[in-house]
This record gives sequence, C-alpha cells and structure tokens, in this order.
Amino acid sequence: MSTAMNFGTKSFQPRPPEKGSFPLDHFGECKSFKEKFMKCLHDNYFENALCRNESKEYLECRMERKLMLQEPLEKLGFGDLIGGKSEAKK
Amino acid sequence: MGGVWHTAWRRLFFCGWHSFHRGSTARPAERVEPFLRPEWNGIGGAERGLRLLGTWKRCNLGARDPAVQPSRRPKSSNPFRRAQEEEWRRRNKTALTYVAAVAVGMLGVSYAAVPLYRLYCQTTGLGGSVVAGHASDQIENMVPVKDRIIKVTFNADVHASLQWNFRPQQTEIFVVPGETALAFYKAKNPTDKPVIGISTYNVVPFEAGQYFNKIQCFCFEEQRLNPQEEVDMPVFFYIDPEFAEDPRMIKTFLCRGEDPIWIHFEEEFSIQQATLV
Repeated sequence: MSTAMNFGTKSFQPRPPEKGSFPLDHFGECKSFKEKFMKCLHDNYFENALCRNESKEYLECRMERKLMLQEPLEKLGFGDLIGGKSEAKK
Repeated sequence: MGGVWHTAWRRLFFCGWHSFHRGSTARPAERVEPFLRPEWNGIGGAERGLRLLGTWKRCNLGARDPAVQPSRRPKSSNPFRRAQEEEWRRRNKTALTYVAAVAVGMLGVSYAAVPLYRLYCQTTGLGGSVVAGHASDQIENMVPVKDRIIKVTFNADVHASLQWNFRPQQTEIFVVPGETALAFYKAKNPTDKPVIGISTYNVVPFEAGQYFNKIQCFCFEEQRLNPQEEVDMPVFFYIDPEFAEDPRMIKTFLCRGEDPIWIHFEEEFSIQQATLV
C-alpha cells in the first residue's frame, strides 16, 4: 500500500471489484476444485491460459453452493469454453 | 552667469516682437535674419541665437513667465523631444497595463488549474483516477491478446496487529490481456477468538494499475475468520485488452522478445479486530 506522502507522485487508487466480494468458503465446499486448479497451475508453470477449465469449474462450484452470484459463463470470460471446445487454439 | 539674464532678455524681447507681429506669416528667413547680424557674434554666435529661436515658439504657445525657470515637465525644451517623451510615457503606461494584466492572469490561471487538472484527469484517465466504468459485457466480448504475456506476481501483507497468517497460494501467474484469471490466497486465524479483517490491494507499476480489473475478490468487505479457521480466498481478475495498445506500456516496460511484462499485485490486510460476544 503506498503510504508515502510524496507531492507529485501519483498514488494508486484501488477500484472496488465489479461484482463485489466473494463470500468466504468457510466449509471448504469447493476446496477440491481449488486443489485441482492449483495443481494444474503448478504443472503448467503457472500459465493461466492452460488452466482455464479448472478455474471455470471452481467458479461453477461456487455458484452451485451459493457462494457466488449466478452468472452466465460468457460474462465471466469463459465464452470460448462453453461449447466444450478446448483452448488449444492459438 | 550673466549669460542667463542675457538670454532671458533676448527671449523677452523676441516674444514681444513676435506678438506685435502676430498677424504676419513669419517666414523662416525673416526670423533667422536677426541672428545673422554682426552684433550677435560677440555673444556667442549664431548658434545661441538659433537656439533662442527654438524657444521662441514655446514662448508663443504658453502664457508663461519666461523669466521663471521651468520646473515642471516636460524636462526638455525641444518640442520634438517633448512630443517624443509624451509618446514614451504613453507607451510605458500601456506596457505597464499589459504587464499587470498578465500578472493577474497568471494568478487566476494558477487558481483555476486545480479543478481544471482534476477534470482533465477524469476525462483522460491519467493520474490513476477512476476511468469510466467497464461494463460487464465488455468481458464477454473481449479478445485475448495472445502475444503479450504478462507476469503477475502476488504478495500479501498483514497489518502488524492482525494475527492472521495470510499468504498467496501462487507466487506468480502468466496471463495475457483480455483473459480472465483466477488466483488464490490463504488466510488462517491462529488465535482462539473470531477476528474480522478487511483488505485492500495495490498494483505496481502505477500505470499498469489502471488496466487491472477485478471481477470479484475478497477485498473491501469485512471478512470474519473463526478461531483456528483456514480459508481459501480467490481473486478473479483480468487485464484490460487495451493494455496492449497503450504506447506507455511499451515505453515503461522493457519488452524484449519473449520476456513477459511484470506487474506486481499486492493484497494487504489491515486490522479491524473485533471480538464477538
């Protein structure tokens, strides 16, 4: 957090998230999905593009368990994964 | 300095002479002629006489006592010079007015600069102010820019008096602009009392922060952790595809071939400790 009171330096203004805050997953209901996602990230050297399926599944889990507002997946940027296509396209 | 009286005498004499002959059109030759007479030579020659001729006109114009030394302006006795001085004085006054107007104008501009700059920042989005909102349908339509790989590193900070264990679950992640990405933090409350914390985030470098959009996260709202509880906290974000088109992003970062651009994302939890009854 930039707390330096410098004249002239622009300070960062954090913006609130667009859809608000995730409720905490106190009971670990989606923990398995999270573990799958983290494992995928580790295996692929932290490249996000290769693990988008897993992140989609995690968010679907959250939506099912009412830990996240129901949203069509296109609005979350997963439009290319809906039709079952893999993201092998370059 | 008997010469002073002498000249005064001459002035008086010639004033009187001219007034007597007012109606006559004094041709220059007629006026000059007395000075060229021989008896002038002893006193100082024709020059003094011609000088006196110059004062003659002044005497004719003003109803003044020529014996009194003129003490008020204009200082010079030459009418041409006098006119010139008047001109200079007028010009000086104009210049002074302009300078004063410029000074006042500068003062006004310096006061007006503050709201004007704020307005400018809002319209152009420079200076980190809130850019006009990205609609959620933009996420739907955005196309990932696959050739600009960005490395986002994560950091977690906790305020000293908050006893949570808070850390990111991945140190870095490689994304491209226009692609939504998920990242996780983990928080544990090792105490045996429920604790509420609230977080905020920071993105470095500053210019890149404008393009960093969070769709959903766990910040800006109070989060309560029960005793000995450990939770996963997700951050769902994307980097605006316009990042790739911003020329400043090319200048700010050294983008050599395949090297990814590096953005640092920091979550900081600050304290808001509350013990619930």
